[in-house]
This record gives sequence, structure tokens and C-alpha cells, in this order.
Amino acid sequence: MASPEIHHLFHNPIADHSFSPDKGTLAVARDNNVELYGKEGNKFSLTDELKGHEKTVTGVDIAPNSGRIVTCSQDRNAYVWERTESGWKPTLVLLRINRAATFVRWSPSEQKFAVGSGARVIAVCYFEEENDWWISKHLKKPIRSTITTLAWHPNSVLLAAGSTDSHARVFSSYIKGIDTRPEPSAWGERLPFNTICGEFLNDSAGWIHGVSFSPSGNALAFTGHDSSVTVVYPSAPEQPPRAMLNITTRYLPLNSLIWNGENEIIAAGHDCEPYRFQGDESGWQLAGTIENKTGAGAGSVREESALNMFRQMDLKGQSQVDTQLKTVHQNTISTVRIYEETNGNVNKFSTSGVDGRVVIWTI
Amino acid sequence: MSQLNYRTINIDVLDPESSVNFPMVTLLPPNLPPPETSSDAANVANQVRQLLRSGDSEGALRHVLDTAPLGGDDRAKEVHMAAVIDVLQGIRQSEMTRVLEGVCSGEGGSERADCLMKYLYKGMSSPGPSSGAQSPHKSMSPQSTGGFSQIQARNLGEGGGGQQMSVLLSWHEKLVELTGTGSIVRVMTDRRTV
Amino acid sequence: MSQSLRPYLQCVRASLTAALALSDFASQTSERHNVPEIEAQSSPELLLNPLTISRNENEKVLIEPSVNSVRLSIRIKQSDEIEHILVHKFTRFLTQRAESFFILRRKPVKGYDISFLVCNAHTEAMLKHKLVDFIIQFMEEVDKEISEMKLFLNARARFVAESFLTPFD
Repeated sequence: MASPEIHHLFHNPIADHSFSPDKGTLAVARDNNVELYGKEGNKFSLTDELKGHEKTVTGVDIAPNSGRIVTCSQDRNAYVWERTESGWKPTLVLLRINRAATFVRWSPSEQKFAVGSGARVIAVCYFEEENDWWISKHLKKPIRSTITTLAWHPNSVLLAAGSTDSHARVFSSYIKGIDTRPEPSAWGERLPFNTICGEFLNDSAGWIHGVSFSPSGNALAFTGHDSSVTVVYPSAPEQPPRAMLNITTRYLPLNSLIWNGENEIIAAGHDCEPYRFQGDESGWQLAGTIENKTGAGAGSVREESALNMFRQMDLKGQSQVDTQLKTVHQNTISTVRIYEETNGNVNKFSTSGVDGRVVIWTI
Repeated sequence: MSQLNYRTINIDVLDPESSVNFPMVTLLPPNLPPPETSSDAANVANQVRQLLRSGDSEGALRHVLDTAPLGGDDRAKEVHMAAVIDVLQGIRQSEMTRVLEGVCSGEGGSERADCLMKYLYKGMSSPGPSSGAQSPHKSMSPQSTGGFSQIQARNLGEGGGGQQMSVLLSWHEKLVELTGTGSIVRVMTDRRTV
Repeated sequence: MSQSLRPYLQCVRASLTAALALSDFASQTSERHNVPEIEAQSSPELLLNPLTISRNENEKVLIEPSVNSVRLSIRIKQSDEIEHILVHKFTRFLTQRAESFFILRRKPVKGYDISFLVCNAHTEAMLKHKLVDFIIQFMEEVDKEISEMKLFLNARARFVAESFLTPFD
């Protein structure tokens, strides 16, 4: 395992990050702006800034083919940025929401994108040629609280969403004239807009922080604030799932997750390091951390250092503790994304966090 | 009614769509066991005490955690709580780690660990049985300005359920070693309270 | 003394570490606002079950977690009236200077002597484990401080009494 590539960009939280397909450009959300970094040799340096939002930017996503960038912010707006000769030009999206926008992702087809919001709706946005404008349709029904995360199914119709009402749901975002009719799958056969194809709740509840479809789209994984990862295998439309496997961990809550093939999940969060889960329909388990540290594991290391500290306080009456964590990230990891993959198998993935670092990991 | 000051009414509460009125029952899983009555809980408590007397402390703890009245009424929860505290106090310090490892392994082990964590916090939040009437303000009458007589003052400070708390705290320490912070996080998120 | 204090602080440390898993969260009740949900209390699903850690009746910590903020309240040991007065004066001194003391709440929660309010902005700007260390250290020192002040007061009282009584020798 090669050592991770660490880019410490600044000392502010990175709410979200996205790489361009050629990996030459990195977009990160920093406070009210989105900053674009260009790769020069082994380093990333600031090349451009996308200014326009008035509140904290919560999401940024670069469309792999068109190169368009979509951003959303707590000021209730989303912009689609297009590169022109005179620089990046924003187009306001008609979201029609009255609370913060919290998350944004392009669909794989790049015809649509979805914006989660605190107004208890998901705005599914598409381009209307006649008016030359991005407009939106709302997914509304059974959402009872802020949407925290979204993930697209490979068919660009199904959309998974996690919310602070502790439910992970799968919706249909089929829009006539934009989407091609999807193949029937275990999630559903006929899929008009706002069909609920699944609604899942953990026994110990907890806000949902991250959702992700497996590469085939036939399984859904989500992570919640109860420090667990849940994998759902649907059986047939309108039927209870074939299997719903909950893996509780001894760590702090995980914020974001990705699939590596059908049998591995990589998740990271408040423990500042990525973990690996492995399994299949018959059962999943935690397979350990991805980071090579000197200690045995983060949990035991930290416990030990707390013990040492108290011992030190007893002996010397003072505490001399390390300010540095043993992990690469020095604070919560907020986003995990696939960096490089071949046929659904991840070779490299990137993480960004509250400590202002973007790290590229090789598996 | 004419006296009602309309400007002080919290109108959000009256709006069913308002986020203040979030339906908390939707956070409970559908597989919640049916509510238990306090007599059921008392039965369980008897069984558990029998197990404890016969020396099977691990079995007692396992049983009492498996039968936790997650869907019970408050009275049943209280009775069950007392049984859990009895079991915890009945196990010697030197045996804690061994018992915990036994209880938290096997089928449903992590659920039992989470459940025990809930009881530890609940035990610490409810006042100890020996100290119902004692409140620090009442015990301080101006006449007995106890500042100079430190012996009496110490007794006051250490009293009030200190014994029970220290048992719970050592259980907590052992349990965190075994299950990590994850189990504490689940105590906070889980709406199925004990 | 320190033998029984250790499990108590260890428990507070573990509970606080678990509670400090915060994220940036914009208000869903008032638009374009971002407020500590534990203080706003406007959406019950954003608040988690509070945790109480107690060493005995008179020493307790209450941790009230929410999605973007945690309120931590400490009940400091007061075994007699003098300690009660000392704790009151001491915490009042601190809370009056709350603005230069980022995480201190201006008013303690009812039933407790001093409260801290930690928001996601604090865990972002400061190292989370150092924040926990700080609170643990505070809890440790405050007990020491109070008993020292009390000893000092007693010594002073004895001294004053002696000097008043010398003329009668």
C-alpha cells in the first residue's frame, strides 16, 4: 500500500470537494466561496475562485463529461458554473426552496442534478431549453427533516437520500422528456416521479450522514450517527428488503462512504481515518482501518494516551500530551469520493475534512 | 379568554407542519416489543435475583439485559432498572471484565452492550435510593456554618449515592474499554429508552 | 481522593468525546440562520438523549448533545455553606468574562453551577481532543481551587481570631 498523498490547502473546513475527470483541477468548498486548485507537479495551487454565494457553501460537484460545476449553499441557492473565455460564468438555478441547500450531486447522465435542503425537500433540477434555465421539481413526500446527503443510482433515475429524521430513502426522480425509461429492477418496475422505492430506519436511529449505491445499483449502503453502517439488499418492488444488515462499530459516527466493488465499503468520519468493511448478503463486518499507523488502532491508542495523561498528572501534576493526532487527517473527515476506478473497483479514493486537507489514498 | 395576550402565543406549536411538532414515534423501529407491565418486570427481577443467588452472575446480567422493557411503561422500566442495579452491584470488581466479555459476545452481544450502557447512564441520572430527601441546600442551615468542622462537611460531600455511582462508573470504564465510544453514541441516538 | 476521581473524569471524557461529533447544520426553522440547535430547541429530532454522569449527589455533569452543538453543565462539589459561596463567586467571576472564554455559557443550566456551550465552529477551529482535555482539566482544577480557597479562608479566620484574642493573653 502506497502512502497517501496529502494536500494541506488551508486551515478552514472543507465542506465538500470534487476532482475534474483528468484530476488536473480540484474544487473545494471553503466558507462562502468555491476555490479551484490546479495541479502543478505534485502540488495543488489556487487558480480560480467561484464567488457568488453569500453563506457557507455546502456542496460542489464537477460533471465528469461536460465539465460544468454545480455548487449549493446555505443561502438557499445553487449555481451551475460554465467555463467561458472570460472566466467562469454562474447561472442561478430556480430551486424554489426557503431553507439552506445542504448537498448537491450530478446524476451520472449529467442531464440532472439533485439538491438536498433543510426545507424538507429534494430539488431535482434539469435544464429547460425553451427558457434557457435550470428549473427544479420537488421530491417532498415522507421527508420529515433536513436532507443531509444524496446519492445517484447508475441509471440516473433512482436517487437515495439520507435525512436527519433517521431514515434513508430511495426515490424515483424520473422526469419525462429528460430521462429514458429505466430497466425494471429490484427497486421498482414503473417509476413515476416521487415513487418511494424504499424507506429504511436503523434500530438505534441516528441521523443519516452518508448514502451510496453499490456499483451495480442492486444494494444500498448508508451510515448514520449511531456509528453504524447498514447495507440493504432489495428483494422486489413493494416488498420488504431481502436483507438489511447493520454493522455497529466501536468508533465515532461515520460521515461518508463509497463502495469498492460489491463486497467492500470504505467509510470515514469523526474518527479522522477511513475504515474498510467487507462482506456480502450473508453478513458484513469491519475489516479494519486503511491507514498505516504506528499504533495498533485509533481507539486503543487514544484510550491509552488518556490513561497515560492521568498517570502523568498523578506523578508530575502536569499534562504533556501530543497536540497531533496519529491520523493523517487532524479533524473530522466530511467527504469520501472515488478518485480512480476500473469497472467498479476503486484504485484510489480521496477524502477531505474539517482540517483543510485533501488526501488521496491508494488501496 | 379576553385576557389572553395573543402576541405571546407560540404559533409554531399549533402548526402540525412545523418542525417543533416532529413525530418522534417515527424514530422508533417497527420491531419494538409490546409494552410490558410492571408485574412482568417484577417477575423478571425475581428470576434474575435467583440466578444471582445461585452464583451465575453472567447469566443474570445476560438475562436482565435481554429482557429490557424497551417498550414498557415508566413503572415497568423503574422496576427493571432496580433489578439491573442489583445485578451490577452483586458482581465483584475482579469479575467485571470476565462477565462483560461473556455477556457482550455471541448472538446479540453488541445489543446487550448498548443496553447495558443505557442502564449505566440512566442509573447515574436518577438519584440514588439512599439519598432521596437529601438536598445540599437543606442540609446547610445557617447555624451550622460547618466551615470549621471539616470532618462533618466531608461526610456530607461524599454522601448521597456515592457508593452506587462508583460501581456504575467502574462498570462504565470496563464497558468503554470493550465497546468503544460507539456504544455511547448509540445511547444518545437510540430513542428506545430503558 | 484521586482514586475515585479518575473513573469519574474518564467517564466524562468518553461521553464528551462521543457527544462532540458535530457537523455544520443550518437552521430548518428560520431561513438563512445557523444557530446552536441545543439552545434553539426548535426541532426535537435534532436533539439527542442527554447523558448524566454523577460521582455522587453533589457532583454531576450533564451533557446535552445536538446536531451542531453540545451543552455541558457541571455541578461542582459543595459540601458546606462556605464552599457554596466560594463556588458561586468563582463561577460568577468566570461567566462575567464569558466573551473572552469562547465555550463558556453566560448562564448555567438550572441545577448546575457552570455550563459550557460547544458549537461546531469551536470543534472546527480548535482540536477536538484538546477541547475535551481542557474541560477535564477544568473539572480537576476547580475542585482543587475551591478547597484551597477554603483552606486559605480558614487559615485567615484563625489568624484573625488569634490576633483579636492576643490582648486577652
